[in-house]
Amino acid sequence: MADHTYKNPILTLRDVSMQFGGEVVLRDISLDVLDVVRPGVSQGQVVGFYGRSGIGKSVLCRIIAGLLPPSTGTVQVANPQRPVCPGDVGFVQQRYPLFNHRTLLDNLLVAAGRKHAPTEAKTRAEEFLTRFDLAPHRRKYPAQLSGGQRQRAAIAQQLLCSEHLIILDEPFSGLDIAMIDEVKKIILEVTMADELNTVVIVSHDLATTTALSDTLWLLGPERDAANQCLPGATISKKHQYNLAEMGLAWQPGIQAKPEFVQLIEHLKDEIRKS
Amino acid sequence: MIFAKLRTMLKELFVPNAKPRPSVFLTMVACQVLFLLLLWLFYPLQLFPTLGEVLASFKDLVTTQGLIQELWASLTTALGALAIATVLALAISYLTALPFFRPIAYAASKMRYLTLTGLTFFMALMLNSGHQVKLSVLVFGATVYLVTGMTSVILTTTQEEMDHARTLGMSEWRSFYEVVVLGKLDEMLEVVRQNFAIIWTMITLVETLYQSEGGIGLLLYKQNRYLHLAGVVAIQLIILATGALQDYLFGFLRGLFFPYSELSVAK
Repeated sequence: MADHTYKNPILTLRDVSMQFGGEVVLRDISLDVLDVVRPGVSQGQVVGFYGRSGIGKSVLCRIIAGLLPPSTGTVQVANPQRPVCPGDVGFVQQRYPLFNHRTLLDNLLVAAGRKHAPTEAKTRAEEFLTRFDLAPHRRKYPAQLSGGQRQRAAIAQQLLCSEHLIILDEPFSGLDIAMIDEVKKIILEVTMADELNTVVIVSHDLATTTALSDTLWLLGPERDAANQCLPGATISKKHQYNLAEMGLAWQPGIQAKPEFVQLIEHLKDEIRKS
Repeated sequence: MIFAKLRTMLKELFVPNAKPRPSVFLTMVACQVLFLLLLWLFYPLQLFPTLGEVLASFKDLVTTQGLIQELWASLTTALGALAIATVLALAISYLTALPFFRPIAYAASKMRYLTLTGLTFFMALMLNSGHQVKLSVLVFGATVYLVTGMTSVILTTTQEEMDHARTLGMSEWRSFYEVVVLGKLDEMLEVVRQNFAIIWTMITLVETLYQSEGGIGLLLYKQNRYLHLAGVVAIQLIILATGALQDYLFGFLRGLFFPYSELSVAK
């Protein structure tokens, strides 16, 4: 018996392209994130998303989050699938934005209030404060929080009001080892909280992100038959890695395995080539 | 020992971005003020009135020419004009969210180049009483400056800030309200504080054009006309002190209502 099966789609991109002023930035991107079911385990999905700086990762993230309509193509989320709208997908941007004029508790309340009645929103916000180890800082303003606290607060805020999908843009950037472990713990916690929870990690930290992921996407340019570079970046079929199928997902200490090290080297080569 | 300590203290005052102790800083300010006063006392310029003359003139202005009452009249007019101008400027600036209203905000901002005298003439043709003309000129003058400052605050809104609100499922209007209206209210108050000085510049001019209601501008005009230089300096110093007090009050209000506004400022 297989150790996992695939069920309903969580995120579907079909032929997504994006142009700005006639310049093609993204081209014909089709992706599927399906609910991975493991017997006896309730665990969501983690997708690692790589690409060189300036290649269009942020644009694709904004498209997936429903913040930017693509020039062509569709993005569908939830079950049953429907076109994405802003608010469906949580998006924690690089600098962990929060409302600077609101206290931490207010920041969470304003997010929880989008989906719940006031009393329920208060309970949920308090619950998230405790879960993310932020309870002692509830009355502080974002400017009074440390980088790590701010990041946790931003993730908590997005989780309180988004559906099951959340994008983290560079969650490991500029963090020390202890903080990286902390963020990894949070990501695992998020995915363990619900079978449908799915975290897309946009990162340049290949080893850390790959170790957490069950799927990888590599965004880069593609060449035609004549070896000419096609305009715009894409995530071709060969750059969509199913780590679960490759036997490289959900294993503690995976980073020490030779297959994992080989994969990282391969990814580095692919990124360099692009 | 004492010299070494003094040298360290002085060094603190001339190092870029240094943070001298409050006591050192206050002593430095007190010394600077004392130096200016001594300079004024012992080396009076021939054209500039002496400190004694200014003080005597101040006493005369208060006791015989109603300086305090005139100052109060100007202050209430200025505050009234500022309140109306702030409401108008906020409305015009916030409406820039709608493309239809952007040309209005742009035009309002450019109207700060209009001359006050020409404007007063048109206002006088349209309105009945001197008070209305005075108030409308002040409101107009302050509004165009406030709109300039407020729209530039709104323009500092980043894509990231708006995206953040949208990812929380907020509508476009709700995102605008949260990020621009609520999020930048403290900066709007700062714009009002900075532009209040414009009203004081205008009020002295307008009060000389419409003399029926008096005001500190008229008092200043009279001192100028009769070459009472000591009186001119005394009134200028009073306006300066009032302005400094206003600045302090605005700062106090900002700290009271928007305690987060100073948290990320480098000190």
